Amino acid sequence: MSTVSQPLLKLENITKRFKNLTAVNSVNLDVAAGEKLVIIGPSGSGKSTLLRSINLLEEIEEGTIRFEGREVGYVMRNGKRHPDRPQAISALRAEIGMVFQHFHLFPHMTVLGNVMEGPLTVQHKPADEARSIAVEILAKVGLSDKRDVFPATLSGGQKQRVAIARALAMQPKLMLFDEPTSALDPELVGEVFDTIHTLADEGMTMIIVTHHMGFARELADRVIFMESGNFLAQGTPEELFSSAQDNDRIRGFLNRLL
Amino acid sequence: MKYLISRAFVALLFLWTMTGSCLGAEDYEQLFRQTSDLMAQGDLDGALALLKQVPAPKADEEAGPFVSSRMQAARIYASQKASDKAMTTCQEVLKLFPDNNEARNFAAALKDLQKPGWHTALSDTVRFLPALAKGALMTLLLVFCTMLVSPLGGLLVALGRISTIKPISGFCWFIIWFFRGTPLLLQLFFIYYGLPSLGITLKPLTAAVIGLGLNYSAYLGEIIRGAIQSIDHGQMEAAKAIGMSYSQAMRRVIIPQTYKRLMPPVGNEFIALIKDTALVSTIAMVELMRAADQLFNTYFNITALALAAVIYLVLTTIFTFIFEKIEYRAGIYEHR
Repeated sequence: MSTVSQPLLKLENITKRFKNLTAVNSVNLDVAAGEKLVIIGPSGSGKSTLLRSINLLEEIEEGTIRFEGREVGYVMRNGKRHPDRPQAISALRAEIGMVFQHFHLFPHMTVLGNVMEGPLTVQHKPADEARSIAVEILAKVGLSDKRDVFPATLSGGQKQRVAIARALAMQPKLMLFDEPTSALDPELVGEVFDTIHTLADEGMTMIIVTHHMGFARELADRVIFMESGNFLAQGTPEELFSSAQDNDRIRGFLNRLL
Repeated sequence: MKYLISRAFVALLFLWTMTGSCLGAEDYEQLFRQTSDLMAQGDLDGALALLKQVPAPKADEEAGPFVSSRMQAARIYASQKASDKAMTTCQEVLKLFPDNNEARNFAAALKDLQKPGWHTALSDTVRFLPALAKGALMTLLLVFCTMLVSPLGGLLVALGRISTIKPISGFCWFIIWFFRGTPLLLQLFFIYYGLPSLGITLKPLTAAVIGLGLNYSAYLGEIIRGAIQSIDHGQMEAAKAIGMSYSQAMRRVIIPQTYKRLMPPVGNEFIALIKDTALVSTIAMVELMRAADQLFNTYFNITALALAAVIYLVLTTIFTFIFEKIEYRAGIYEHR
C-alpha cells in the first residue's frame, strides 16, 4: 500500500520570508500518518509560520508541500510560482484542521453553530446531519451542556475545546495546533491537554507548536527544536531531552521553561 | 399694549355712537352726555348703571337709544375684560334685533377674543395637516426607497474597495470619491436637469431615489468597509482554516459580525437621510419640506414650517428608537 510507504505530509525546502527576515529557512519535514509531532523553540523561531504555511495561511517563497503524495498549494505558470486556485486551496484546508492560540470562535454563532459550520457551509451537508455530527463531537470534548450558548459565556479552556471540536467536525486527516494552551490560565490548560490527548489516542495525525513541555513528554513521537527558522535538533522526547545536555541553546531554552 | 389699543378702539367707537345717538329723544341725549361725563371721570360702574336705565323699546318705538346704550355698555364691559358680560349685553340686543350688524360683529369679535392663542394654532394645524401629511408620506417613501437601495450599493462598494482586483477597487474608490465629494444638491440637479440633455429623462421620484441612493451608497460603503475591516483578522483565518471560500467567510462569518457595529453610524446616516430628502424639493417633488414651503408662501403662516419641523422630529425620533432596538438585538451574542 502506497499510503504506508509515503508520508501524509512532506515538506521540501520550505522557505518563508517577511521582508528582510527569513522566518522559515529551507525546512524539510516528513510527517507519517498517525504521527504526533511537537515543535518547540523560542518565540519568533518560525514555528507558527511553518505551521501556517502548511495549510496555506502563509504564502511561502520557496519549497513544495506534498499532502498524501500530491503537490498542493502552488502551481507553476510561465516559470513562476503562483498560489493555486482558491477552490483548491480551500479544499486542502478542509482536510487539515487548525486550532489557534486565540481560539477565533465565531462569536455570533452558538457553540453548536460553530461546530456545525464547517459541515454545513463547506461540505454542504444537510442541517440535521451537520447537527448530529456536531452534537457527537461536542459530547466527545465534554461540552454537550454548552451546545446552545454563545462563546462569550465560555471559559478559555471551554472555548479552545469548542475550537478543537469545530476543526474535528470536518473530519480532518491532519490537525495543526498553534500554541493551543498559551492564551489559557494555568488551571485551564489541563482540560485542553486532555482533549488533545484523547484525540492522539484515537490515532489522529497532529503537529503541535507549544511551549507546554507536557505535550512533548507525554504525547510526542517526535520533538523538533526550532530556532531562527531552522530545525536545530529533533528526535524522540528522550533523545531530545538527553541531547539537551550537550546543546547549550536547547538546554538554555528548556531551563527557562522549567 | 393690546389693552391700550382696545381701550382706544372702544373710545373711538364711543365717540362715533355718541354722534349717532344724538338724534334720539332729549332724555336720552342727556343720559348719554352724563354717561360720557362719568366715563371721562373714570366712573365706569356709574356709566353702566345709567346706560342700563334705557329700557327695551316697545314695538313701535325707536330702537336707536336702546341699541346704543347696550352697545356702549358692552364696550365698557369689554374694556374691563369682562367679556362674558359684554357678550350677554350684545345678545340682549341680538335677541330683539337679530340683524343688527354692529351687535353681530361685536359679538363675533368678542368670540375671537375669548379664543386663546393655541386655538388659532390648532385651527391652522387642522388646516395645514392634510397637505403636510401627504408631503410626509412622500418623504417616507423616498427614505424607504433609499434605505432599500443604499445598503446594497454600500455593501457592493465596500467589498469592491477591499478587493485585491485593482480595477474593481479603483472604480469603487472613484464612486466614493465622487459622490462624497460633491454636494447632493448638485448631484440631484445633474440627474434631473442634466441627464435629459444626454437623452435620459427621469421622473422626479426616480431621479430623487437614484441621487439619494448613489450618495448614501457612497457614505454607507465607507462605513461598511470600516466595519468589515474592524473584525478581528483571526475570524477570516478561522473561517478559511475550516475550508471556507472568501465569499463564504464574508457571508457567514465576517458580515454578520458587522451588524452591531454598523447600527450606530448607519442609524446616523438614515436620520441625516430623512432631512436630506428636503433637498429633492428642488427637483419638482412635493415632499414634506416643499409642502410646508408652499403653505408658508400661500398663507404667510409660520405654523406650517413649525409643523414640518415637528413632523421631521417625530420621524427622526421613531428612527432613533428603532435603530437602538436593532443595535441591541444585533449584539445579543455579546451579552454574558
